[in-house]
Amino acid sequence: MEIEVLNNHLLLLPQRAIYWQEKQALILSDLHFGKTTHFRKAGIPVPEALFQDDLATLNHLVATHNPKQLIVVGDMFHSHHNNEVEQFAEWRLANNLLDIHLILGNHDILGKSKYDELNLQLSDVYVRDGFTFSHEPIPGTSSFNFSGHIHPGIRLEGPARQSLKFPCFLFTPNGCVLPAFSKFTGLSLISPAVDRRVFAIVGQEVLSC
Amino acid sequence: MAAKLSRGEEVILDWMAALGNKPFPFQKEAWDEFLAGHSGLLNAPTGYGKTFALFLPVIIEWINANKNWQEKKNNGLRLLWVTPLRALAKDLQRAMQEVCDTISLPWTVGLRSGDTNTKERARQKVKLPEILIITPESLHVILTQKEYPAHFKKLHTVVIDEWHELLGSKRGVQVELALSRLRGLAAEEGRTIRTWAISATIGNLEQAMEVALGAGASAGKIIRSRIKKEVEIESIIPDKIENFPWAGHLGTRLAARLIPIIEQSNTTLVFTNTRGQSEIWYHALLDTYPELSGLIALHHGSIDAEVRTWIENALHEGALKVVVCTSSLDLGVDFRPVDTVVQIGSPKGVARFLQRAGRSGHRPGAVSKIYFLPTHSLELVEGAALKRAALEELIEQRDPVLNAYDVLIQYVCTLSVSDGFYPKQIFEEIKKTYAYQYLTEEEWFWVLNFVTTGGSSLAAYDEFKKVEVENGHYQIKDKKIALRHRLNIGTIVSDSMIRVKFMKGGYVGSIEESFISRLKPGDVFSLAGRNLEFVQVKEMNALVRKSKAKKAIVPSWAGGRMPLSAKLGQVLRETYVTAAAPESFNKRTEIELKVLRPLFDLQAHLSHLPGHNETLIEYIITKDGHHLFVYPFEGRIVHEVMASLVAYRLSLIKPITFSIAMNDYGFELLSDQEIPINNKILHQIFSTENLVVDIQRSVNSTEMAKRKFRPIAIISGLVFRGYPGTVVKNKHLQSSAALLFNVFSVYDPKSLLLKQAFTEAFNEQIEEARLRDGLNRIYNSNIVLKYPVKFTPLAFPIKVDSMRENLSSEELKARVLKMQMQLEKD
Repeated sequence: MEIEVLNNHLLLLPQRAIYWQEKQALILSDLHFGKTTHFRKAGIPVPEALFQDDLATLNHLVATHNPKQLIVVGDMFHSHHNNEVEQFAEWRLANNLLDIHLILGNHDILGKSKYDELNLQLSDVYVRDGFTFSHEPIPGTSSFNFSGHIHPGIRLEGPARQSLKFPCFLFTPNGCVLPAFSKFTGLSLISPAVDRRVFAIVGQEVLSC
Repeated sequence: MAAKLSRGEEVILDWMAALGNKPFPFQKEAWDEFLAGHSGLLNAPTGYGKTFALFLPVIIEWINANKNWQEKKNNGLRLLWVTPLRALAKDLQRAMQEVCDTISLPWTVGLRSGDTNTKERARQKVKLPEILIITPESLHVILTQKEYPAHFKKLHTVVIDEWHELLGSKRGVQVELALSRLRGLAAEEGRTIRTWAISATIGNLEQAMEVALGAGASAGKIIRSRIKKEVEIESIIPDKIENFPWAGHLGTRLAARLIPIIEQSNTTLVFTNTRGQSEIWYHALLDTYPELSGLIALHHGSIDAEVRTWIENALHEGALKVVVCTSSLDLGVDFRPVDTVVQIGSPKGVARFLQRAGRSGHRPGAVSKIYFLPTHSLELVEGAALKRAALEELIEQRDPVLNAYDVLIQYVCTLSVSDGFYPKQIFEEIKKTYAYQYLTEEEWFWVLNFVTTGGSSLAAYDEFKKVEVENGHYQIKDKKIALRHRLNIGTIVSDSMIRVKFMKGGYVGSIEESFISRLKPGDVFSLAGRNLEFVQVKEMNALVRKSKAKKAIVPSWAGGRMPLSAKLGQVLRETYVTAAAPESFNKRTEIELKVLRPLFDLQAHLSHLPGHNETLIEYIITKDGHHLFVYPFEGRIVHEVMASLVAYRLSLIKPITFSIAMNDYGFELLSDQEIPINNKILHQIFSTENLVVDIQRSVNSTEMAKRKFRPIAIISGLVFRGYPGTVVKNKHLQSSAALLFNVFSVYDPKSLLLKQAFTEAFNEQIEEARLRDGLNRIYNSNIVLKYPVKFTPLAFPIKVDSMRENLSSEELKARVLKMQMQLEKD
C-alpha cells in the first residue's frame, strides 16, 4: 500500500513498518526488544520464539529494502538489559553500516553507554526534511509527525456478529501513528473519524478501511 | 446401644445429655464408622448437626486413647477441617471450642483463611492447634512454608465441609492436590489419614466420595442422614393470568403480591438471579411499600464487604424484614430469623432452588417455605416442575474437573517455594487423585518443563528462571518469584473490579471495570440501592456523588445469565407432557398447570403442545421473514450452539443466512429466504454424525477458548494479578491473557494450557455432552412440524429475547405490548 504525504511516497508494509522511498528510510515503532526475556526472567514462560521472529522480520525488512536509515520512534527496548539486547547487538554488528536513529520512548531505559555501544543516534524529537519524529504524538504540531506509543488497532466487523481486531496505521491530516512492530504487544482500539485514514494489517496485506 | 460405651462416648454423651440432647441416628452411625477407622462421605442437610457427626468422634477417639486427656497439651494438629466459606469458619470454631472447653479438653481450635491476621499466622507458623479450620487456598499457603511437613506429623483426619460446593470447581482440585500431599506425607511414616467429605444431596454422591477419597481408594462409607428437609413450595399465581405478560424477566409487576407475604413473615429473603435484577427489585419493593424503609436491605457481590457484614449481622439479630439478594446469600451461616424465602424468576436449577429454600426454617424439624414468583406466564410451569423435582429429589450432578493443567502448575510451584520436591514422588501422589488419574507421563514432563525451562528450545541464550533443578530436586530460590507465587495462590478469578467511592469518602461497593469504562462523567447508575452520579476514576477508585435523578442505568453484570440445568430442563419437558393432556388433569395436578389452561389451549389451537417423546418445531412466516422455532428445553448455552449447528447444516443444503435467538426453552432461526425443511432434512440436521467437525465449523470455538484462557493464565501464573490493594507496580510484567492466547497460538500451539482452554470451552461453553444428548433425543423423537399463522405462546418469549439484543429496554416494552396485543386480537 502506497501513500503520498507532501510529495513523499510511503510504503505501508504488513510487517508493521513504513518504507520512505525518497529517503530510503525504514520507519518503525515499539519494537520492545527484550520483552519476552524480561517476562521469562521473572518466571513467566512466554514463548521465546516470539523475539526470534521479530528479529527475523527486522532482518528481512532490511534485506529486502536495503535502507540507508532506520528511524525508530521509541520503545525500541522493553526494559533492562538482557540477552535479547545482546542478540540484537550481534545483528547490529553484521549490519553496522546502517544508520539507526532512535527517538527515545518511555520504555527505553538501557542508558547512553549501551546505545553508544549499539551505535544508535539518539534524540527526544527528531526532525528531518520537514517531518517530525517523536515517540508520543505531538498535539498541534505544524509539520507532519510520525509517532508510535499508542499501539493502534481497529475492530473490523464481519457477518454473524463476528468481529476481529487488527493492528493499523493511523493517519491524521498532520501525522501518522505507527502500529507496534513487536508481536508481543496488545492493541489500543481507535475509532474511525472523518479526518482519519486507517490502514489495517490483515495477515500479509494492508487494507484501507 | 447394647454395647458397652467407651470412655470417650461416655464423656460426649454426658455432655450432650447435660444440654438435653442426644445424637441423631446418623450421627451415631458416623461415630461408629469413624471409630472403626473408615473414611467416607456424610450426606446431611445444613443445620442438622453434621459438624458434630464428624468432629465429636475425633474427640471420643482421643479420650479413649489417652488416659490423661484432660492434661495433655500441645498435641499437634490432629484434625484439619476444610471449608469453602470463611463466613462459616468462625461459627464452627466457636462451636467446637465450646465443646472442648466444657469437657475440659485442653485443645485449641484454630482458624486459617485469607482474613487471619499476621500475628495469628506467625503463631501458627511455629505451632498449629489440635484442630484447624481452613480454606483450600490457605491450606496451599501452608504448603509454601519451609518445613511444612513437620506440622502434619500427627494429622490423622481431614474433613471437607460443603464438598458439593467445591466439587466441580478448580477449588475442589486444589483440595484433592493438598490431600494427595498430606496422604503422601503420612504414608512416608506408615500412617494413614481418614478423609470424610460432607455434602448436601447431589446427583452423584458416590462419585463425590471417590473424588474426596482419591481414585481407586479402598471403598468408603456413605452415610445418609435420612432427615428429609421439608420444603413447602408455593407459586405466586397472577390474579388475571390473561393479563400477565407472555415474556419478561423482571417480574416486578407482581411486587405488590409480596407485601402480605413479607408482613406475615418474620424475615424474608428475596432471591434474584442477577445483581441488576436485585437492584431493580429493591427499588420496586420500596416504591410499593415505603414503610419498609429502614427494614429492607440489598445484598449482592458488588456491595462493599463492610456493608454486607453489617446486613448479615442485622439478619442475625432479626433487625431486617426483607433482604433482596443474589447467590451472595446462597451459602454461609444460618440466619435464624429467616422464615420465608422468595425466588424471583427461574432458579435455573433444582439444587440451587432447594438450597435457597433451605435458607429459611433452619432449625431441625422446621419447614422451609419458599415462594416462586414467575416473571412471565409460561415460567409458572417451572413452578410445577420444581415441585416435582423437589418431591422426587431429582438433583443435579456436580461433575469433577479433570486434568486442570493450570492448577497443577500452580501446585508444583507451591511445593517448589517451600522445601522443593522430587518429581517421581509427586507424580505418584497426584496419580492417586481423581483429577489427575489419567495424567500421562508426557503431560507431567510438559508441566515440569514449563516451570523449569519455560518450554525453552534455545537453552544457550535463555534466561528463563522459575523452578531450579539441582540433583533432581526441584525448588524455587528467587525470593521475588516466590513472593509473587504466594500472592497468586488460588483459583477464584474474578473480573477486574474497581471500587466505587463517594467524593467525600466511604465505599459503596465495587463494579466491573468494563462497566465503569463505558460511563461518562454525569451518568447516573444504580448500586447498592442508591442512584449515583459518576464523577471520575482516580487511583483505581470510581468517584461518585449521590444523585437525585429518578432514572439510573442498572449495570448488567457479567455472568448473570445462568442457563437452565439439564435436570430442570428434563423435569420441565415432562411437566409439559402433563400439560399437553388436559383431559387427565386431576386433584393432584399442580395448580400452576391448571391456571395456565387457557394459554395451553391457545398453544394447542395455534400449533401443538408437545406430548411424550415429541419435539415441536414451528415454521412461521411474518413480514420479518421465515422463522423456525425449535424447543429442546436444554438451556440457552446448548441452544446457542445447537442453533448455530442447525443453521450451518441448513446452509449446506441451500445457501442461506440466519439470525439466531434463543432462551432456556428453545431457539429461533430467522431468514429472509424460505428455509428448506421436510421430514428427511429435519432428521439430518439433528444428527450427531460429524458433530465435532460441524461444531468447529459453525461456532467460533477459538473465541470461546480465548475467554476461557483468562482464568487459566492467571491460575498458572502467566498473568500476575498484582499485589493486593495496590495499583500494579510491575508495569513491565503486564500483559493481557488475550494477547498471551494469541502469542501461544502462533508460537507454541501445542501448549497444554491452550488445549485446556479449548477443552473447557467444549465442556462448559458448548456443553458438548449435553448437546449430543439433546440432539439424540430430538433425532429419536417424533418431530412434529407445524405452520402456525402467528407467534405462539411458546415462540413469543424467544422472539422477545432476540429483540432484547438490539433494542433499549423502553422501546422493547412498547414493542412487546404491541406484539402481544396483535396476538390476542382474535
